[in-house]
Amino acid sequence: MPKLKVDDVEVEVPAGFTVLQACEVAGVEIPRFCYHDRLSIAGNCRMCLVEMEKSPKPIASCAMPAADNMVIKTNTPMAKKARQGVMEFLLINHPLDCPICDQGGECDLQDQAVAYGMDHSRYKENKRAVKDKYMGPLVKTIMTRCIHCTRCVRFATEVAGVEDLGLLYRGENAQITTYLEKAFASELSGNVIDLCPVGALTSKPYAFTARPWELRKTESVDVSDALGSNIRIDVRGNEVLRVLPRLNEDVNEEWISDKARFACDGLKRQRLDRPYVRKNGKLQPASWDEALTVAAEKLKAAGSKAAAIVGDLCDAESMVALKDLMAGLGATSIDCRQDGAKLDASVRGAYLFNAGIAGIEQADAILLIGTNPRAEAPVLSARLRKRFLAGSLKIAAIGPKVEMTFPMENLGAGAPTLAEVAEGRHAFFETLKGAKKPMLIIGQGALRGANGAAVLAAVRSLAEKAGVVKEDWNGFCVLHTAAARVGGLDLGLVPGAGGRDVAGILDGAGRGEVPVVYLLGSDEIDTSKLGSAFVIYQGHHGDAGANRADVILPGAAYTEKNGTYVNTEGRVQLGRLAAFPPGEAREDWKILRALSEKLGQPLPYDNLGQVRRRLVAVNPVFGTLEEAKPGAWGAFGQAGAMGSEPFASPISNFYMTDPISRASPTMAECTSVFLNGQARTGTHG
Amino acid sequence: MSQAPAEIRKHARGGEGRRKARAQPKGRQVEPGALSDVQALLGDKPRQRDLLIEYLHLIQDRFGHLSAEHLAALAYEMKLAQAEVYEVASFYAHFDIVREDETPPPAQTIRVCDSLSCEMFGAQTLLKDLEAALDPKKVRVIRAPCMGACDKAPACAVGHEQVFQATPEKVKTALAAHHHEAPKPKKDYAAYIAEGGYTLLGDCLDGRLTRDDLIKRIDDAGLRGLGGAGFPTGRKWKLVRQEKGPRLMCVNGDEGEVGTFKDRHYLDIDPHRFLEGMLVAAWVVEAAEVYIYLRDEYPELRAMLLAEIPKVEAAGLSRATKIHLRRGAGAYICGEESAMIESIEGKRGLPRHRPPYVAQVGLFGRPTLVQNIETLWWVRDIAEKGADWFTGHGRRDRKGLRSFSVSGRVKKPGVVLAPAGVSARELVEEFCGGMLDGHVFKGYLPGGASGGILPESMSDLPLDFGTLEQYGCFVGSHAVVILSDKDNMKDVAINLMRFFEDESCGQCTPCRVGTEKAVKLMAKPKWDEPLIAELSQAMTDASICGLGQAAANPVKSVLKHFRGDVL
Ligand SMILES: Cc1cc2nc3c(=O)[nH]c(=O)nc-3n(C[C@H](O)[C@H](O)[C@H](O)COP(=O)(O)O)c2cc1C
Ligand code: SF4
Ligand code: SF4
Ligand code: FES
Ligand code: FES
Repeated sequence: MPKLKVDDVEVEVPAGFTVLQACEVAGVEIPRFCYHDRLSIAGNCRMCLVEMEKSPKPIASCAMPAADNMVIKTNTPMAKKARQGVMEFLLINHPLDCPICDQGGECDLQDQAVAYGMDHSRYKENKRAVKDKYMGPLVKTIMTRCIHCTRCVRFATEVAGVEDLGLLYRGENAQITTYLEKAFASELSGNVIDLCPVGALTSKPYAFTARPWELRKTESVDVSDALGSNIRIDVRGNEVLRVLPRLNEDVNEEWISDKARFACDGLKRQRLDRPYVRKNGKLQPASWDEALTVAAEKLKAAGSKAAAIVGDLCDAESMVALKDLMAGLGATSIDCRQDGAKLDASVRGAYLFNAGIAGIEQADAILLIGTNPRAEAPVLSARLRKRFLAGSLKIAAIGPKVEMTFPMENLGAGAPTLAEVAEGRHAFFETLKGAKKPMLIIGQGALRGANGAAVLAAVRSLAEKAGVVKEDWNGFCVLHTAAARVGGLDLGLVPGAGGRDVAGILDGAGRGEVPVVYLLGSDEIDTSKLGSAFVIYQGHHGDAGANRADVILPGAAYTEKNGTYVNTEGRVQLGRLAAFPPGEAREDWKILRALSEKLGQPLPYDNLGQVRRRLVAVNPVFGTLEEAKPGAWGAFGQAGAMGSEPFASPISNFYMTDPISRASPTMAECTSVFLNGQARTGTHG
Repeated sequence: MSQAPAEIRKHARGGEGRRKARAQPKGRQVEPGALSDVQALLGDKPRQRDLLIEYLHLIQDRFGHLSAEHLAALAYEMKLAQAEVYEVASFYAHFDIVREDETPPPAQTIRVCDSLSCEMFGAQTLLKDLEAALDPKKVRVIRAPCMGACDKAPACAVGHEQVFQATPEKVKTALAAHHHEAPKPKKDYAAYIAEGGYTLLGDCLDGRLTRDDLIKRIDDAGLRGLGGAGFPTGRKWKLVRQEKGPRLMCVNGDEGEVGTFKDRHYLDIDPHRFLEGMLVAAWVVEAAEVYIYLRDEYPELRAMLLAEIPKVEAAGLSRATKIHLRRGAGAYICGEESAMIESIEGKRGLPRHRPPYVAQVGLFGRPTLVQNIETLWWVRDIAEKGADWFTGHGRRDRKGLRSFSVSGRVKKPGVVLAPAGVSARELVEEFCGGMLDGHVFKGYLPGGASGGILPESMSDLPLDFGTLEQYGCFVGSHAVVILSDKDNMKDVAINLMRFFEDESCGQCTPCRVGTEKAVKLMAKPKWDEPLIAELSQAMTDASICGLGQAAANPVKSVLKHFRGDVL
């Protein structure tokens, strides 16, 4: 632990710390542009210069390892002068177009320029003009602003693991670009917008729509996958303009996926903003009273034969309300696994990512089973890459041959290979067994087939035999794709005694045995199988479920309600209301509460606090926020034949997986550029 | 490697669906024709990343440029990202990238040196005359930095073959001629052996000499690094030896400092003396591999080494050290040792941060001895004749021998072997036949473009390491350019600054932006002294490497000693 002095303050820092970090420990803020603590050190902007005793020249504090007995001075005339000189150089070519820049008000360069009193330039020559580059539908470039800090390139190659960005030419001709101006092909590309310190890379969809100070900022969680990435929602008026990441080391560090960031324009489209009732085969606008009355009548008539399916974006509050409402009817056909995954709700350890997302960094052998993390959870995929870069990781996959951002062996396509490994007949069994912290990442692709329960049992047996679950480590990790799923399982939204699961409900509906199906935001089922059942759809978008519905009860999107979500690790987090639901749409649990009134069995809660107390009553895990602990272990799954179907990832188009992203023009453009190859070339946009 | 035709590089990583559905956007497709070109050129050579620049040369040499198709094919063949190959290729001046929508350059290229000595001898006129005399469709005339022929100014290169004291007529003759054979070295392997060459190396390899003994001889002689930094050579060997093996060695033959041509001279007159010194040094630090990085401007020396090195290998003299010869690609910054190492690794020549020093973490992450060609050339003489022989030379309390590359306004420019501590005036009068007729000694560059400028009034100072620093100058690679009353110091300073602007790697802000802005400010009729002074100081204090740190030396010198020319 080196001990050194920073501005006369003695500090002791861990070995491997840089002088810049040591300065931070000493409470001295060092200006920086190129340095970023999640990227490799470039040391190229020269803004972080400080004076070091015995060194004739100032040193770049970000690139200098802290060492014993160093004497660092951060505010000497020499250091200040050098930084000021650098600042002036950076501003020379900068267009100083702050008033029209999207970064305005949140720009490192602007802040530093003001701090150094250099908001004008003494260099009167023409500024260098640089042609803007095409980087795809998400990132807009204004390259005259670029200061060549290479944060974006380092992010792309190190974190995102794609080599699309590069620095070409040299000297003053150096330019950041994508190779031959193709789109920057990463599910994490938007993060470069946050990383670029000067607004050279900005959000294309968001361009020029608002100045930061006009925005109301709300801290929330993302629902576009099951990670529960922490986000900030920026709203002007009642419109969600953008979504940014919030730091959470345990979950998303400071990254979010492009879907989490850019799908928000889907919140403005295809919204259900009033109730509808189908009359004469056509959905007609209706009053709340009418819609609820019709729904209640049908439900009452169906009684215990009514069934409910819960979608992927639901908050726990609405799920518990639905569960209670169904219980009031005596109905036990309820299921939150709309994709048919054979998840076992009885043992919490059976459906959690027990080791935690950050636990990936400790794992030394990882087997992916039926999952493509790049499409299902890009931020988690970045964590896998981070672990890979740290070295000596053994990683392999059973399932689809997907291209990850790190080398990974594919052991086989499906159950037969899993059986080999589980029965110790495959070399990777020994790899897992020999590892200190082995990890199995089980995707929904492995569990949603007809033999999912057998697969689950086989993985459990593998976990137990290979020492994946031990006293201080549970490497059994289920990777969910639905933000609602773990909450639903925690609340027991699975068929009760005599109840039907999703397949059974659809089957029953087709045969006329299930007269009423309640779809709570369920859009990813095959609605053509609902037969002649009366369908009540509660949700926020005019997607598959609403199209089939007989009654539509317009709900709130995740940005429009205070809702509780449990992520794939079992971490309970709060989403917060950032904007109001459009038109007559309402917060979801309230809709169910109103419906229960019509049914004559009012749910016993009238406000959010009471609903949340009910959540805790149903499952105490809801009492502890933001913590993730491994779930209890026990027997689960159903040993049996696993078949030989290959495991396929449930997601074929990362950009469109839920009603919001399917309504998003930006996600549609990504789909056409990245999936359908309609890359625009040259100087567009 | 056999490939099915029309292979498509699958490195567009994405979701599963993406990979299946993606039509290949332009630039991604690997054309079968281009791929077979590249495969034919590479033959069974290893597809190693560090050989990337070598392979770019193969393509450039064969086709006269690097087409987008060939770059994509090379990336495919070497399993590298296309962006990576593109990044590297675009860094070096000797590669011409031609995108799909661009026309390739003409078949022949003439590079006219417009660095200081050549500029003084009419480079601009030559440029203009050549442009006027030649068909731009067939011949491309471009400016180029110093090519190590400053004593034969103005110099230009047809392809990479140089024409000295160039005139449009000489250039036309050169364009028509087809040189192929490598000129025989003045002293080849047999001649060198005949005069007792490689005995020292034999003594080392066979254990008749100890490493400590050898280090002591070099230490006692006070041999210092002649690449420019002047670091004591014996001390460097000890430092490298202290690091845990395996260790590597690199020879710096980039010789890009304006006005420097001594390495070329020694390789020309006696290459084996250098090779023996190199193998001895490699033996001292137990480097199992040595990489010679030779600038691309010296193709005849490269051809010569390619012919001579195998003789050394065949004689078993390199049994302890495998010799690699690597080719630069037109980048002065690759003379900076860490940038050179990056370049040998097949990357852009960006200088690294220190610490760690290359002696600790150098080539391929290994402790690495980096030594200049001339430094190694002296090893044998010192080891055999003894430290006293070497230290017996010297003037003004300096010890040893130094090779000065003298050019500019003197009668007999060239490499001058002189005692350390010799003065500029002595170089002119005693060694170089005096000033050219009609020229009055006005000032001089003691150490190339980086070493600043001193006035004639300070031409009695001893030229050696550690002496001129107090005047804001240094002797560096001992490249002395003599200036006369016919030379305007403002023009001199602008010429030098333009060189740095062209050659800055662009990594760090002060040098990338500073050199470019300085050129603009200096071109004004009257200099804005405070602004230029501040800009210079920021470059000096805040740049990463020696290039940016020294780039302002000439400007500062002019402001100090030749104010009349600029204010
Ligand atoms: C900008 C720059 C350019 C350099 N160019 C060369 C060069 O062309 N040849 C060389 O031998 N050393 C050059 N050097 C010095 C090398 O970094 C290094 O000090 C030298 O190769 C070490 O060998 P030596 O100790 O034998 O001199 C350069 C240094 C800088 C900062
Ligand atoms: S685009 Fe932004 S992040 Fe990338 S190098 Fe330029 S300034 Fe840095
Ligand atoms: S000083 Fe110049 S050459 Fe050296 S690293 Fe910085 S930009 Fe590159
Ligand atoms: S922050 Fe240290 S050089 Fe950029
Ligand atoms: S060869 Fe032209 S200046 Fe050196």
